[in-house]
Amino acid sequence: MNLKHPFWQGVLVLVLAYVVIKWGIGYLLPMIGVPSAPVPSTVVTQYMLTVLVGVLLYMSAESDRWAAFKAPMVRTMVDPGRRALRGILLVGLPLLVGWVAYQGVKPSFGAPATLRSIHPAPPNSITFRGATMELAGLENPLRHSGDMEAHLAVGNAVYTRNCVPCHGDLLDGQGHFASMLTPVPADFTNTGTIVQLTESYVFWRIAKGGPGLPNEGAPWNSAMPAWETILDENETWSVILFLYERTGSTPRTWEEEGAEGEAH
Amino acid sequence: MRSGTLLKTIATFLLVGAAGLVAQENENGRVLYDRWCAECHGAEGLGDGSAAASMLPRPRTFSQARYQVRTTGSGQLPTDDDLMHVLNVGLPGTTMPGWPNLSDQQKRDVIEYIKSFSRFFAAGPAPEPLDFGSDPGGGPEALAAGAQAYLTLECEACHGAAGRGNGTSAPTLEDWRGFPIRAADLTEAWALNGGSSVNDIHTRVLTGLDGTPMPAAIDAMNSGVVSPDEVWQLAHYVASMGPRERPRLREVVRVERASEGLPQDGSDEAWGDIEAFFFPLAGQVIEVPRNFAPTVDGIWVEGVHDGSEMAFRVQWNDPSRSPDSEWDEWQAKILATMDLDGFEAPALDSTGAVTVRWPDAIRLQFPFEVPDGAERPYFLGGTTRQPVYLWTWSSNDGVGEGRGRGYGSVEPLPGELQGTAEWQDGRWTLYLRRPIAAGADGLTFSEGVPIPVAFSAWDGSSGETDKRAGVSSWYYVLLEQEPSNAVVVTPLIAILLTGAFGLVLVRRAQGRARA
Repeated sequence: MNLKHPFWQGVLVLVLAYVVIKWGIGYLLPMIGVPSAPVPSTVVTQYMLTVLVGVLLYMSAESDRWAAFKAPMVRTMVDPGRRALRGILLVGLPLLVGWVAYQGVKPSFGAPATLRSIHPAPPNSITFRGATMELAGLENPLRHSGDMEAHLAVGNAVYTRNCVPCHGDLLDGQGHFASMLTPVPADFTNTGTIVQLTESYVFWRIAKGGPGLPNEGAPWNSAMPAWETILDENETWSVILFLYERTGSTPRTWEEEGAEGEAH
Repeated sequence: MRSGTLLKTIATFLLVGAAGLVAQENENGRVLYDRWCAECHGAEGLGDGSAAASMLPRPRTFSQARYQVRTTGSGQLPTDDDLMHVLNVGLPGTTMPGWPNLSDQQKRDVIEYIKSFSRFFAAGPAPEPLDFGSDPGGGPEALAAGAQAYLTLECEACHGAAGRGNGTSAPTLEDWRGFPIRAADLTEAWALNGGSSVNDIHTRVLTGLDGTPMPAAIDAMNSGVVSPDEVWQLAHYVASMGPRERPRLREVVRVERASEGLPQDGSDEAWGDIEAFFFPLAGQVIEVPRNFAPTVDGIWVEGVHDGSEMAFRVQWNDPSRSPDSEWDEWQAKILATMDLDGFEAPALDSTGAVTVRWPDAIRLQFPFEVPDGAERPYFLGGTTRQPVYLWTWSSNDGVGEGRGRGYGSVEPLPGELQGTAEWQDGRWTLYLRRPIAAGADGLTFSEGVPIPVAFSAWDGSSGETDKRAGVSSWYYVLLEQEPSNAVVVTPLIAILLTGAFGLVLVRRAQGRARA
């Protein structure tokens, strides 16, 4: 197999693309700490068709390359010495296509794919226990008032009684009820969660919980309570302080948020 | 001999002195303890942290140095390795996790600090693990001998004949502080506090679980009631009572198409051929009053249909067949000691007896219409705007259909759902049957379409009623379709078309080559 030959280069590109799309995105990225999810099979097919068209366009862009690319295929179709290979392909390829078709029509007992946005766009303002709060530009007021130790103690107590069953003592989303919930609770030690969010966003998520998600966040599935029914404003800001302190992280600032917004 | 005694005395003095020094200087241990442990175990190690009352069993009290998971004799202190083991893997079936976030040195510091809460550690020589002998091995004969030892040691008095924690003493059990504690369900080895291996179980049987009613079998062994081999065989027998790991969650209940007739009741042998699906339940900790320590932690579901009717069998472990006056004491203790989150327990009468006994109950929840897209009613009982369709059962009222507009509210609906339930040896078996086509109100279970389903369960004798429940997320049931011709025809057409296309290509290429 000569890897400089256009035909094998094309094959190699297709195989590599398949490996990356099928396994790389879903399984390799999480290994280096980037949150991800397996690509649904229909999307894999779409991506692969795109790659195939790309390969064909590239190969046919120059007539020499196109001829070289086609040559192994033409030889297989006409060369008397390749009669056996020809026979195998003429039987094998249709069978392969038949098998793919069977996979498409056979009865399936898998759960339907559910796509949800993990961090949907927040509203501009929310009502908290009846009072309107503007989220844009909102900072955690406890960072600039009172005794930080006392705030953290309140946050710790609030967290342990209310959040530990799902989010866990280690804040890693591994509480004793976590494995009984679908979708699983957020892991605050993961760089994909609170570190990427402003404290106002976290306040919104805590106050309004699963039921307060927009539809793209699949509010019907989330077991996150709407904590405004249980926690007051001070307790909510305190537990937010606790989340960042205990995970040794800092919230996204409005400056970062603004820079990102302009870049878009 | 005399010099040995002298050495021991000197060693004891040194240890006491060293322990005292450590207690004073173990600043790292104190900081780590305050940071990670105190909120449950209390700043002074009294097991009275701010969240303690929501936990069953309660967090350990360190000041009395009574430890469940030890390799030392009953009433003895644990070894440092015992404590390290618990910090590494946690206590399954409780709220105590393992602590992979702490380094080994940090864990050692925490252990030293925890030990400093009790004077016992400083006072004596380092505890020594028992000699556990060697496992003579399992096998059918060992299991039979183990089953005999289970009777000899009266394990069934608390754990029940089938091991589901439903023995006659189970309702009376309390830990050494008087808090209620459940007899372990031995069929759910994954939730055994001290681990699920034969070795783990053997160690727990021999050493007992100090601070709980679980006694140590070592005295019975030493006095010849059971032999060392029989204790090992007992461990093999207990390990054989159920799966070691929690069954894997599969999201879709496959409702098979019956080749001949539907099962007629919950004990029909036909269920033996039908796949059972396990769904874990978490406490309802979303709406007040929350239930932090539900009794029912999972249910098994099986389904089968014949194109016009469908039958389901739902099974779950519950040590009490509520309502049952035998469990009054248990119920009163749960309601008196647990964090009820605003649930108002009915008053006891003048003799201190309970006045209300709740039934056991279960609920299967569906949408009223199979959703086109992802949208469906709120998983926790639906909402006013998007109600849910319910199959309800309680040990008082039997089976019914209903509409839920939020968790806890059920408006009864007329329907053709039928069912019977039987409680045997710590396990409920509920048989349900309904035509596939809906009545006036309800859901038609179209074949081949995943239909969202969620589950809830209540144990009346643990004061579980209304929102105090165990709940699941949304999953699916899927009625198997009649095999259609398309399954054969479509691949066949694909094969023929591709084959013909290939032949034409080859012919043309060969023709062109000849030319």
